[in-house]
Amino acid sequence: MLKRSWKYAMALFCAAALACNSGKAPAEAAMKLAEEAVNSARGEAEKLVPDDFKSLSDELAAAREALGKGDYKAALASAQSIQQKANDVMAKAKAKKDELTQSWNQMSESLPKMVDAIKSRVDILSQSKKLPAGLDAAKLTAAKDGLASATTTWGEAQEAFKAGNWTDAIAKATAVKDKATEIMGALGMQAGGAPAPAK
Amino acid sequence: MADDKPPQGQSDFTQWHEVKSGETLSKIAQHYYGDASLYPKIFEANRDTVKDPNMIRVGQKLRIP
Repeated sequence: MLKRSWKYAMALFCAAALACNSGKAPAEAAMKLAEEAVNSARGEAEKLVPDDFKSLSDELAAAREALGKGDYKAALASAQSIQQKANDVMAKAKAKKDELTQSWNQMSESLPKMVDAIKSRVDILSQSKKLPAGLDAAKLTAAKDGLASATTTWGEAQEAFKAGNWTDAIAKATAVKDKATEIMGALGMQAGGAPAPAK
Repeated sequence: MADDKPPQGQSDFTQWHEVKSGETLSKIAQHYYGDASLYPKIFEANRDTVKDPNMIRVGQKLRIP
């Protein structure tokens, strides 16, 4: 009986030693850290640098697969690499966010002024008995429609920014700027303080 | 009749007009709005520098709302 117990203990010891030597535990620990790093990058990186984040996710999936197949050495190496890459992706996302925020701040200061200037001009021209040279009723109607559309899009841009969809917010704000510039041109207004062509 | 750059320190999207010899607010309104009777719009937008709509001077920079 005593001899049999001793054999069991040895077998358990051998199994434990084998598991330890195979590198399973360190690979699993590294994988856990890699998953945490990817998850912490997910929120902003997925929105701001989607391609980089997808590449990171793909690497994590490959590392998981290696772990599942018992290739602990490869899993450990990948997991350690992923942790560093996750930091790099987060840094890239932060830089992108800073860049977009700066663009947003500039546009959110200038666009309402552009829209106000157009609205003022459209309101006055709507009261005019005869439109000035180079402007007809169809152009004025198009300007009014464009202004309404730009105002709606600007509201959407602000909502997108509030929701943290920075890229979408900038895209919409840029569309508003382009539309407003087009309308100002159609109405014979100068944009950004630049002089209009001599008449 | 030509537009002009905004005065220094002004960088918004308001259109500016530099008054030329012989111009009146009515003529300027006619040019920008196609309707001389809308000159009060320009007068109101420039009340800080124009006290009398019949008294504008050459070289004066006016906001065109």
